[in-house]
Amino acid sequence: MGNILEFQDISAGYGRIQILNDLSFTVKEGQVFGVIGPNGSGKTTMFNALLGLIKPSSGRILFDSIDITRTPSNVRCKMGLGRTFQVPKPFENMSLYENVLVAAVHGASNNERFGRELALGILKQTGLYEKRELTAGKLTLLDRKRLEIARALGTAPKLLLLDEVAAGLTDAEVKDIMKLVADLKAAGHSIIWIEHIIETMIGSTDALMCMAEGKCIMVGDPQEVISSEEVQRLYLGVDDNE
Amino acid sequence: MIGKKLGQRDVVVLDSIPMLIICIALVFGLYLSCITGIASNNAMRYMIQIFLFITLGEMWNLLSGFAGMTSLGQQLYIGLAGYSVAVMTTKFHMGLGAGLAVGVLVSTIVALLLSLILFKMQGMYFSISTWVVAEAFATLFLSWKFVEQGSGMTIRVVPYPRIGEICILSLMICVVAMITVYCLLRTKVGLGLTAMRDDITAASAVGVNVFSHKLIVYLIAAVFTTLAGGIFFINKGIIYPENGFGISWTVSMIFIVTIGGTGTVGGPIVGAVIYVFLQEILARYPGWSNIILGIITILVILFLPTGIMGTLQKKLRFEIFSSKRFSFAKHK
Repeated sequence: MGNILEFQDISAGYGRIQILNDLSFTVKEGQVFGVIGPNGSGKTTMFNALLGLIKPSSGRILFDSIDITRTPSNVRCKMGLGRTFQVPKPFENMSLYENVLVAAVHGASNNERFGRELALGILKQTGLYEKRELTAGKLTLLDRKRLEIARALGTAPKLLLLDEVAAGLTDAEVKDIMKLVADLKAAGHSIIWIEHIIETMIGSTDALMCMAEGKCIMVGDPQEVISSEEVQRLYLGVDDNE
Repeated sequence: MIGKKLGQRDVVVLDSIPMLIICIALVFGLYLSCITGIASNNAMRYMIQIFLFITLGEMWNLLSGFAGMTSLGQQLYIGLAGYSVAVMTTKFHMGLGAGLAVGVLVSTIVALLLSLILFKMQGMYFSISTWVVAEAFATLFLSWKFVEQGSGMTIRVVPYPRIGEICILSLMICVVAMITVYCLLRTKVGLGLTAMRDDITAASAVGVNVFSHKLIVYLIAAVFTTLAGGIFFINKGIIYPENGFGISWTVSMIFIVTIGGTGTVGGPIVGAVIYVFLQEILARYPGWSNIILGIITILVILFLPTGIMGTLQKKLRFEIFSSKRFSFAKHK
């Protein structure tokens, strides 16, 4: 299988503060690609660069073999980059169905009739079907996170970006999310997943990247990455962690 | 039980055939009362104000409530409308219709040109810029010889339309504006706008083209604000730069939408009715009127942050003129 995403020597940051330093990695099609790293290591900045919210000062981003380094962010969404927000941002006064419908109609460029079918399918897939007529503002955290994923799926993404979708959930709820991600992988989605919970990452990902100071420290088999000395030091050591 | 069959649902939408018939009957009744003279001149004076302020309120609601563009410069289009009518009738001896048409044309061009600059700004910067542009136009008209500078212009047509005719005209504009807003919200663009109302960043992230949605709304608002403003000055008969391009226009729009309910289509109707009657009552206490309006606005924002209509809809779980989509099949 080909590469769905390639970061080639990306440097980027906010104003004069450079966060990413020559970051390179590749994500294969159909993979669940996990990203870990201490706070401030540039995980979310990597997402922002990928989504076009900040412009890299050097390097190239190839998405599905197309250079998207300078592509505007709304075009990237239409090209197939679906994202979730770390802090869920549902359309609070709309029903769950409408939330997903917006994505299905606008993100996947459907008319409302086709969007409807797509939205209903996704609601079933993410386990929100029974609650579809509820107003999104009243949801629990778990369902908000599910809705984030559902809405991202609505845009018919080739690559799904999950930003700490399991953070703040109870153990049982984390299991629910892991199962959902496994289902999505089985359905053929490529996923990049940022998360702090190590066990989740070992259990759910095909490849794991550990970031520190805007660089890729190690990438490979999740178990190997976690047990490597350098990653152990980064996570358990006293120097770099707050 | 319906609930079981359709899944849980939070809101009942009242828009239906009987509701449509009630609306048509209401509009027809108002039309008849204007045309037959059942309504007194005084009543029609109120009605004109209410119809025009509903139109202005709906448009400002589209801008601020849905598209997230809190414009403080909508008076620009009211001024342009008034002056277009005045110039076309006095200088070129044309009819009022031609005056309004020219007004719409001028406003559309101005709106298109301004959107190039204004849309680069967001939030407060957008608001301030719209206001500054409106003030700039006021200054321009204040020193422009062709439009009689500060002494203003009168609208001269023979025969001058009777108040009943002006009332019918404003009713028509109001109805067309309401239908336009409702239909817009039922389209794909409306779905995007409803999403933008709730969270503009998230809307953009799921592929809503925020720029094109804003442009559509800004143009529609410019056109209807122009029409309403034009009719207002036809009714008044005279226009000065200060009352044409005054910020007080936008202040009343904000009041109407805030009181009525931001982001609801029914809200501006409630807001406009309250505003027009309040204004009439407060006219007896000159100097106090703005203070009292301000206090009311603050109280509403504190205790009913979603406005009267918004609070009612939330409490009683209903919606009228709704943009709501349901997942189950519609009855045909």
